[in-house]
Amino acid sequence: MKSTVFYMLLCGGLLAHPLAAQGLGNPQPSQGTPQAQGADTPRIGQSYVDTQGGETPNPQVLGMEMPLLDPASNTMTYNGAKIDVGNNELVRARFEKYLSQNPDDSTESKRYRKKMNALLKLTQKSARSKREVGSETLLKIGTGLYEMNEYEGDAGQASSLASAIASALSAQYANRARSQQNEALEKEIDKLVSKTNQLESRNTGKGTPGGKSKDGNGQKTVSNTYLISHNKAKVSKMTASGVKNDADSIAALELSKINFQSTIVSMLMQRRFNHALIGAQSYRHIFRDGDTTLKLDSESQAAKLFEGGVGLPPTVNTMATIAANMRRDVDQNMEAVDNMLAQNKLGAATQSLIQAVALGEYMESVATFPVEGRRRISEYWTLRKKALPALNARDYGALEEIAAKMKELDVDFDDSMLTSYCAGRKAQSDLHLRNAAKALKAGDDDRFNEEITKAGSIWPKNPNLVKGREQLEKLDNQDPVRDEFRTLIARQEYRTVYNEQDKFEVVALDPELKQQYKEAITVIGTIDGMLEQLDVIARQDAVMGACMAYETLLERGEQDPRFKADSRYRDALNRFALAAHDFTQALEKARDCEKRREYGSALANYYRAQCLYPNSTAAGAGARRLTEVILQAQF
Amino acid sequence: MARKRRSSKNKKSQLPLALGGGGAVLLLAIIAAVVMKPSENREDSSDARFRVADYRYDASRLTGNSYTLTGRVENIETLGNDRMVAVSLPNNPQERLPLLVRSGVTGRVNLTRGDTFTFHVVCRNGHDSQGGEVKGIMVVEKVEAE
Repeated sequence: MKSTVFYMLLCGGLLAHPLAAQGLGNPQPSQGTPQAQGADTPRIGQSYVDTQGGETPNPQVLGMEMPLLDPASNTMTYNGAKIDVGNNELVRARFEKYLSQNPDDSTESKRYRKKMNALLKLTQKSARSKREVGSETLLKIGTGLYEMNEYEGDAGQASSLASAIASALSAQYANRARSQQNEALEKEIDKLVSKTNQLESRNTGKGTPGGKSKDGNGQKTVSNTYLISHNKAKVSKMTASGVKNDADSIAALELSKINFQSTIVSMLMQRRFNHALIGAQSYRHIFRDGDTTLKLDSESQAAKLFEGGVGLPPTVNTMATIAANMRRDVDQNMEAVDNMLAQNKLGAATQSLIQAVALGEYMESVATFPVEGRRRISEYWTLRKKALPALNARDYGALEEIAAKMKELDVDFDDSMLTSYCAGRKAQSDLHLRNAAKALKAGDDDRFNEEITKAGSIWPKNPNLVKGREQLEKLDNQDPVRDEFRTLIARQEYRTVYNEQDKFEVVALDPELKQQYKEAITVIGTIDGMLEQLDVIARQDAVMGACMAYETLLERGEQDPRFKADSRYRDALNRFALAAHDFTQALEKARDCEKRREYGSALANYYRAQCLYPNSTAAGAGARRLTEVILQAQF
Repeated sequence: MARKRRSSKNKKSQLPLALGGGGAVLLLAIIAAVVMKPSENREDSSDARFRVADYRYDASRLTGNSYTLTGRVENIETLGNDRMVAVSLPNNPQERLPLLVRSGVTGRVNLTRGDTFTFHVVCRNGHDSQGGEVKGIMVVEKVEAE
């Protein structure tokens, strides 16, 4: 129930014009009895029920629709619109405005709050000191309120309250004047009645000795009779005037009370709890008849709200109690915000601050909240605000980033559900992309389109979608590329293919060329990897390393002719041959001599090569081969 | 006239010199021919004159020459009782000279790797089992231990 009151106040403050509350209890000329207007005609203070069907509209109070909170969905219905209380434009704008403001701790504001606190204490004084209208306490309250009006942050609320007090006092003075007038009339009536009685006594001779002796013709008697009639008429007229004065006083008092109560309710709805409290506590100083009942229709939702919801009778004192409780709640919320910020619980701190701002934006504890705290909460709030649009836009990458940052800021933030959800959706999208790729390879265009559409609808910003689109664009231009690729493969220019992989990878989609593409990439990748290793070895040992590199390259070139076709391979072979000049010379000489059957010289050259590079397989094999020939020869 | 006279005088004075110069050139040519002619006879050569690099370059030029070489045995490959020995010579430590050591040539000398021996070798040409030439092989005729 407390939350309902809170949201009612919040929405009243946010949505309702304060003057609208002044319709409290005022009879509307257009409204008559229920019988006269029909059962479906709304009355003031009563809920309107749509008998034509559809959703039940909100109850109306004070001449306007009352916002109602649905705690289950945390949404509020107002004027037919459903508003997410924690994340609607109005609350966001209000809260962000608050976060962007500097703390209100100026000298003027301090002075204003000091006066406010003094007035609150003053209103708590007993009202029994004087029983006359316009006590000294009341005058001080009024003066103080007019002084507080100088502060801009008050927004004229104090002045409005002071005016209400002044109006109520004026009505009281008018009533007192009427009361004095009635007292004078009563005295005059008494005099006239007494005189009339005397005249009547003379006419009848009762109580008037010697009447006949003065006037034997009865002329005197006739004269008294007229006077008596006149007096009677005058008394009647004066009595009626007195009754009218009484009726006017009662009506003026009721109207005055209603107006003043409207002002207090208006303050409460605007979350000006201090003003409402001052007004409520001043009420007993102004209206000393002890009647503090709110002038509500007993059947109205507002009356039921006070009676059944809060559990208090609908009186001015009830409003004072509510205002005092709200003030205490706001201060407690702000204390919780400080504690939770100290514990890095930004989520809970933000929630408490939203409540505190919504409930008591004008309270001192809220208005003076430090700028550092506002900055931290603003950072968290911004992330939280981005989360929902990201989720609506199905931008799961951004959502995961937001969740990660929120987890950094808030130790209590549980991102497991969010990240699991994002991961699932991303995987689902990727799965459809994979199916699309399969469909493309199979040439199934319909299936391809269907899968791509599904992948895009699940995760529109899937980066693989962009890659896929690029591949498709490449496919559209693949024919010239394919021709060029075939030419290069025929010339064994694998390195060109390797260097322009991005350009030629599209041909890999063609099963016919895929193997050749992979072969070109693999061959050049192998050569490059091997050359890198050999460079390292050659740097470590200038002579033997170069010999080893040369021989290794030579062997691989013999094993795989595609190596010899590579320019970088040939360059490296020449470079290492130059670095291992003696070794290569010895091997070449050995082979040359062996061809000319100069086996002695050939063997000596193989030996020479072995001296330079003992692990040489070519030199070792050559030496073994020639040794066998020589040992079997005849000399 | 003056020219003729002067010419006759020069001829008379240069004749002994021309005869002497021609003789010296002839003598040098004979010596060079003797020295440079490939010897078909056995002729001992010292270690200092032999270079493995020359042998590697063209062994056939040395065919028929005999050498007495002292060197360290670096490697031995065997086939039956015949051995192919790689020897390093003191003046060419970075080279290996292949020597064919037939069975029975070493006599009582035991060829072991790492030891130094004196080899009496002759550079010969031979032929393999298919009749193909096998040129420029240093064949050991005698081995002496150092």
